[in-house]
Amino acid sequence: MNDATILSSGAQAVDAQLAAATKFLYHEAWLLDAGRYTDWLNLLDEDAEYWIPARPGQKDSKNTPSIIYENKDLLSMRIRRLSDPRTYQTSPAPRTRRIVGNVLISLEAAQNDSLTVTSVVFIHEYRDEQRRLFSAQCTHVLRETAEGLKIASKRIDLIDCDATHTAFMSLL
Amino acid sequence: MALSLEAIKGLVKPHAVHKDVYTDQEVFDLEMERIFGKTWLYVAHESQLRKAGDFVRARMGTQDYVVTRDEHGQINVLQNRCTHRGATLCNEARGNTSRLVCGYHQWMFDMGGKLRGIPHRESYPTSFDMNAEQNSLKRAPRVAGYRGFIFASLSETGPSLEEFLGPMHVAIDNLVDRSPTGELELCDTAFRLEFNANWKMHHENANDTIHPGVVHSSSVMAARQHRSEPSSFDYGQTQEMLQGNNFSKKEWEAIELVALPGGHSYMDGIYRSNLLARKESDPIRDKYEAIMEEVYGKERTAEILNLDRFNNLIYPNISINAQYHQLRLVHPIAPDRTLVISQCFRLIGAPDEIFHRAVRFLTTLSSPASMIYGDDATIFERCNQGLHGSDTEAWIDMSRGMDIDRALSEGGTISAATEAPIRSQFDAWLGYMTQGI
Repeated sequence: MNDATILSSGAQAVDAQLAAATKFLYHEAWLLDAGRYTDWLNLLDEDAEYWIPARPGQKDSKNTPSIIYENKDLLSMRIRRLSDPRTYQTSPAPRTRRIVGNVLISLEAAQNDSLTVTSVVFIHEYRDEQRRLFSAQCTHVLRETAEGLKIASKRIDLIDCDATHTAFMSLL
Repeated sequence: MALSLEAIKGLVKPHAVHKDVYTDQEVFDLEMERIFGKTWLYVAHESQLRKAGDFVRARMGTQDYVVTRDEHGQINVLQNRCTHRGATLCNEARGNTSRLVCGYHQWMFDMGGKLRGIPHRESYPTSFDMNAEQNSLKRAPRVAGYRGFIFASLSETGPSLEEFLGPMHVAIDNLVDRSPTGELELCDTAFRLEFNANWKMHHENANDTIHPGVVHSSSVMAARQHRSEPSSFDYGQTQEMLQGNNFSKKEWEAIELVALPGGHSYMDGIYRSNLLARKESDPIRDKYEAIMEEVYGKERTAEILNLDRFNNLIYPNISINAQYHQLRLVHPIAPDRTLVISQCFRLIGAPDEIFHRAVRFLTTLSSPASMIYGDDATIFERCNQGLHGSDTEAWIDMSRGMDIDRALSEGGTISAATEAPIRSQFDAWLGYMTQGI
């Protein structure tokens, strides 16, 4: 996606799409911060993919390792584990607050029933006396379905994806 | 003032170690000098250094090195420090160049580490000798390869690489033999994870069969309760791996731990116990086996693919998983800080899907968001906190299995549910720490 293909405003139809997408992302952010993971999972369409690449600009999810590359089914396993008290990483549970901003939609990638939305997210996590900040660009493909907008894919490009990390379990 | 011989010996008993081995700065400094400063350390894989001019960064203990292939084809392990003002010369993870040039005063070195050029040569005194040893990059005095794995030692003398590896060469052989062409390519993307605890805890955890059923119970349960059928997304691999830590009494008694001289160890029989076993129907595996059989024949292929050794620890800095083509490097940073680098290999000539499995294995086990590794890291950090917060009489027990270990004729021991790998690590540790003192 290059600058020319991104619009933040303009035609009325685009403004309406942008408003809908922004509202959707705010709602998603609220669910994740509230720890309502099952509700969050319901935002995903059945064939949705969730991807946190391990390299900047990573193109391939099969031949290059990723921090997370999961579908809805695998995410449901991840989420089940988050609520288990024997998950040491979430006991005590992490708390997060996130800000979603710079929401833009791509006209080039637009299809009839879907919308490609980029945003910037800062996620501040606190857990067991430790504080950390995740900064990322998110790319959502949102799909219009009978049940309203659903996530067809979510890609999270952490600015430090290829750096040294400590383990984390918060859902980004 | 270094610790006395008596003080060092006093830290290790046959069945227990004093907490200082995990927490004390003086002990750590001595480890860097006497273990990481002496023994063979894995530094790079040949596939990273195919052409003249290729270089890749490496660590030896806490020191920063560059491994290079020079114009003569020789491999050099050079300290990443300009001999002029001390700046790092190489600031990228890897690349290709004909000269390492310092960004400060432009001292210029060839890939063998020799000083080749300095600006304003005429202002140096006549006694200044470009060829003097102190002007060349400091190099690891011994470098040796074993089937593509490059090791270096900061000591001029000592056992050869083959002697050092002992029976552990089988782990490298088996990994290389799993490639139908005998060639591996190290995947460029590595995970670099830090935890706040001592480096030895990582090794002690790797070949311990009791902890998985406890530490990983949340991921085991999540996988067990998962009811959906595996799809082509990952063919059930993630769920299978999470469930693979379901070590119960049956596995505790079936998986044997081989503890060898030199601190090396591995798990024997993890697949026989049906954890991560080959599935009856596996078209990808069938395709791979057919390619292997064409090269090696049926019998030899079976021998290679059925070798059932897991978490091959080559003490003190790498661990190899041959079945899933994984490599882990453990770098001490401070007594309570460790860097773990996890990577995987592509078996050249094997189907792409076999590499995809190695990639998913790496992600599932070793990513920062791994549902398995994160619980291990948390436990290491709890151990570190517990030891830091305890009195000077804290001793760590490692006696499990002492009475049931059976001696192996070629040295070392074997038995299930034992802490023999930890005892063998401290045996080696004490040997290194007191050698020549």
